[in-house]
Amino acid sequence: MLTVASLTRTELEARLAGPGLPVRTGAFVSRIHSPLRHVADGIELLYGAYPLLGEDSFADFDVGLRPSGGLRRWYRPQVNFDLDGLVPFEPLPQAHAFPMLEWGLNWCISTRAHAYLMIHAAVVERDGLAAILPAPPGSGKSTLCAALVHRGWRLLSDELALFRPEDGLLVPVPRPVSLKNRSIDVVRGFVDGAVLSRPVANTTKGTVAHLKAPADSIARAAETARPAWIVFPKYEAGAATALTPIPRARAFFRVADNAFNYSHMGARGFATLAGAIDGCASYDFRYSDLDEAMAVFAALEAPQ
Amino acid sequence: MWRLRPGQTLQYRQWDGECVLYNDLSGNTHLLGDGAIELLLALRRGPATRAALAAVLQAEFDIDPAALDHETDTLLHDLKHLYLVDTMAC
Repeated sequence: MLTVASLTRTELEARLAGPGLPVRTGAFVSRIHSPLRHVADGIELLYGAYPLLGEDSFADFDVGLRPSGGLRRWYRPQVNFDLDGLVPFEPLPQAHAFPMLEWGLNWCISTRAHAYLMIHAAVVERDGLAAILPAPPGSGKSTLCAALVHRGWRLLSDELALFRPEDGLLVPVPRPVSLKNRSIDVVRGFVDGAVLSRPVANTTKGTVAHLKAPADSIARAAETARPAWIVFPKYEAGAATALTPIPRARAFFRVADNAFNYSHMGARGFATLAGAIDGCASYDFRYSDLDEAMAVFAALEAPQ
Repeated sequence: MWRLRPGQTLQYRQWDGECVLYNDLSGNTHLLGDGAIELLLALRRGPATRAALAAVLQAEFDIDPAALDHETDTLLHDLKHLYLVDTMAC
């Protein structure tokens, strides 16, 4: 199987600037167009292990990161994200092009992939059982996810839990893990040999960088996982590590609060989420120390 | 006489004394207590009078007889407000 890494830098730039680069990330294929160096840099660094498809392959999303026009391009160049020619967002500084690609790909899935019940959550797997970590930004979800996938857990996603209604299984979308502000250095210190994109400062989320997904997680992107634990993480500086069970009915509503399309899916969404809650043990998890957090996750027992 | 609103299929889960129910008409999801779900399940079997529904609650729960009528009326009012049940002519 050809991977993105099989392209030379010149070939990569030519594909991005020309017909587009079709990349499979789990269940989705995105054809990426961009003449920008920042985008090529990010893809070369973080997407080398992903399957490279033929130029004529079907793509779920045809996306572009293209320089915006106007006089501004001469003194403060900007970039637009487009999907099938539509430009849904305001332009950003060109230095933000790679994070914009990542945010844009998340947006493509979360606004279109309604065949799945989609929850804003990280998902990691061990022995076929998945831990789902739903949480709003700032809760330490991605930091925890980045640490777990370098301590024996497989990355399914750091942003999107995709429940397949037909069987309740979780479908992987392993992509780079988005880290913000202080968590960038925390993960650098925790993960030996961490490969991170160049931090980009002054974005709407502060300083952001993306951590390369483990090669094994990318290679196993077609393997679904059974939901087993729902863990609502909360990082609090100095807090003692604490894992507290949550009644199932309360967990149901908290997961639904983090869903992109629970209401949109109607009764099918209810049945899917209820099935997940049936099969999961649910917890609040407060932490400040990543080593202790890893020990808690390692000790999670499969629910009855 | 009370009845389940036509179109309600009563998709629900009961966990640890709490019930989560999907409302087919509004698309909302409700957190209900055991009493409410007992009334809905009774009405799924067919329309029933207020007295018959009070008897269901009395049989299932240890409710003070003096409070039974008030409890039944409150639950039915709440369920009607959620478009789960409705009254019908006898």
